Amino acid sequence: MSKITVTNLKYKYPHRDNLALNNISFEIQPGEFIGIVGENNSGKSTLCQSIIGLVPHFYKGGYGGSVIIDDIEVYKSDISTLCKKVGLIFQNPFNQVTGSKETVFEEIAFGLENIGIPRDEMIERINFSMKLLDIEQYKDRNPFDLSGGQMQRVAIASIIAMKPEIIILDEPTSQLDPAGSEEVFQAVTKLSNEGITIIMVEHKIEKIAAYCDKVMLMHKGELIKFDTPSEVFSLDNLSDYGINPPIFTSICKKLNLRKDDNNYPVTIEETLQLLKKERSYEQN
Amino acid sequence: MKSITLYEYKNSFLNHIDPFCKLLYILAALSIPLILGVSVTKLIFIAISIFLIISNKVFKKVIPLFTFSAIIILTAIIIQGLFYSNNKHIILQLGPLKFYKEGLLFAYHIALNVLNILLSFAVLIFTTKPTDLIDSFVRVGFSPRFGYVLSSVFQIIPQMSETMSTISDAQKSRGMESEGNLFTRIKAFFPLISPVITSSLINTRERAIALEVRGFNSTTKKTFLNQQTRTRKDKIINIILLLLIILSSIWRIITCLK
Amino acid sequence: MNKIKVENLSFSYTPNDLVLSNINITFDNRTTAIIGQNGAGKTTLVKLLKGLIKPISGDIQINGTSISSQSVASLAKQIGLVFQNPDDQIFKQTVLDEVMFGPLNIGINEVEAKNAAIEALSLVGMSKHENSNPYDLGLSERKLIAIASILSMNTPIIIFDEPTIAQDFISKEKIKNIIRYLQFQGKLVLTIIHDMDFVAECFERTIVLCKGSVLIDDETKKVFQNVDLLKEAHLELPHVARLSKELALKNLSLTIDDFITDWFNY
Repeated sequence: MSKITVTNLKYKYPHRDNLALNNISFEIQPGEFIGIVGENNSGKSTLCQSIIGLVPHFYKGGYGGSVIIDDIEVYKSDISTLCKKVGLIFQNPFNQVTGSKETVFEEIAFGLENIGIPRDEMIERINFSMKLLDIEQYKDRNPFDLSGGQMQRVAIASIIAMKPEIIILDEPTSQLDPAGSEEVFQAVTKLSNEGITIIMVEHKIEKIAAYCDKVMLMHKGELIKFDTPSEVFSLDNLSDYGINPPIFTSICKKLNLRKDDNNYPVTIEETLQLLKKERSYEQN
Repeated sequence: MKSITLYEYKNSFLNHIDPFCKLLYILAALSIPLILGVSVTKLIFIAISIFLIISNKVFKKVIPLFTFSAIIILTAIIIQGLFYSNNKHIILQLGPLKFYKEGLLFAYHIALNVLNILLSFAVLIFTTKPTDLIDSFVRVGFSPRFGYVLSSVFQIIPQMSETMSTISDAQKSRGMESEGNLFTRIKAFFPLISPVITSSLINTRERAIALEVRGFNSTTKKTFLNQQTRTRKDKIINIILLLLIILSSIWRIITCLK
Repeated sequence: MNKIKVENLSFSYTPNDLVLSNINITFDNRTTAIIGQNGAGKTTLVKLLKGLIKPISGDIQINGTSISSQSVASLAKQIGLVFQNPDDQIFKQTVLDEVMFGPLNIGINEVEAKNAAIEALSLVGMSKHENSNPYDLGLSERKLIAIASILSMNTPIIIFDEPTIAQDFISKEKIKNIIRYLQFQGKLVLTIIHDMDFVAECFERTIVLCKGSVLIDDETKKVFQNVDLLKEAHLELPHVARLSKELALKNLSLTIDDFITDWFNY
């Protein structure tokens, strides 16, 4: 059974004329790592927020169609129920720190206290998630004293401790330096290997191509294509949607190098393989 | 990070006492003199508070509070001593200034009240971790929202002052003069304050979402990471304080009946 | 030609903990990227150039005059700095008023300020939003407004702090074109930036800061050849450079077009 089933989802923010999401349908299987790409204001964040129920429960506004997670219909449920299944991480790590806790350990406990997890289990879960995100050494530090990358990992650990089955990350690395972004991507890959379903919005297209199982391409509130990275990034009219393919794909397009399935490569490994093959072919 | 909390861990007796006991102490210190109507009890409680503050090594931190109360008390002495409406008997004359007995007595009562209130609160505030205090409020049934607002203030205000200095840099970079005469300062006020407000509104909204997805509105009964450690010592202190309040009430009722 | 000369510059917030130690750089009309991990001292350096903080030792000269005697407001006529977060500066009700704020502050008259603002807005492609309220627009549009509000001051030196953060492909292209145009106008352009692909495509010279010191200062292409030093500074190679290095091409290519040429010349 699909983990997430979205059918004809339409949504309009209050006091706005245009549809933020226009007739979107897709299914996501358990454990998949999905990337969402598209230009600014194409509906990526709105789509993310519709899965955890912020759309429509937090923002209100006009809503049609359905989002179903396992057997829960988002529209008929509420955020405090959904947040046990779905976790959300967004851009700015500063705004995800509660500001009411004095140590990283207590910070991670915040969500668990709210959903009534018994103390012993709470401690066990906090330790588990700190280990997974490699932040045990910051246990007693004040969250505000950490760097952006460290703080973002604390934010992810806080969500992981709530044991969600789905984690949504909305541009989690855009405020971080290269080392910080890499830390976050490594951590997310680890979660994906644990079998957690991951949905990630990201502008760093090369990373999306390298890490994701499937990619959603959004434009003006519509879902243009939902397929493997190489299918999506091989589209001829990609630039019409304000998206540039990975640099490796652009190079192969110019050299007209295709893979066996007639798509262009999207990762450095695939590209290297093709280029090396090409070179040895030329040399012979 | 700059923190505005007044608490500092000293491994002292009061650090290990349940916040609730200290709240009860404030209640006793304020209510017993009121019930008994005898101002000597205020003096006794002031003495106890000072003893507790000194023996728990926070006296230095309380000094600014003394200065603050000294200003209030001094003002009271001058104003009431000179202008209290029931003033009749001159007790001291300094040039043209006449101090009256009634006014000074009234000021004396104000001073006792101010000191009693400030010092008994100091016993709590300076020896209790803010989150523990808030947890104990939430445990006895206050809304977690109220608790969150209280505790976040301790951290979010320093955050805001950092934003404020960035904004000030940004506007100065655009040639805004922020120093100089009053007019320049007034002119600089709006470019500084309005980004502070909009950015904190944006941040607040994002933080609201972040709290929401961490079950802030969950109706499940909340649990606590930090255990409530109500020891026998705490219980005994609570009982003594409660007994004192009850006994003084009984005494008051009996004296009234007589 | 514009020139900033930084001599023996050191700075610290707390004694014994130098954020910048003994920096010597001369910035000229080459577009220059300053890269380095968070906490390497990039923002501190820029704040010093802008006179927002004072060095503990050393000197900064702009076109031969030391900035130590100049106020922040008078420096504003010479150096424009675009802050990372546009929301830290925007306060006017309309985009046009916001962009006019800077020029008016530095003593340009109303008519000229308006013209400068209109020109700056057209340069960033925001002319049609002149009368909008900035907060009705998206974050990347507000970023462009923040850029315009500095361009309108027409300073000979312009510094960007992380111009590409949270920007999509189209906005990045716009920013790239703005930087090229400024360079064409003969302005001195400096940028603090994390996006290595952007550095590779847009900047002639790159300075790597690491723990408060200059680790490398060279032509961008040469900087990216120092793989070991870059690793020490926790920095990555641009994607094209990685590919060209893996293939052991003779030249290290930085852009897609470079790569294609190098590939055929192989």
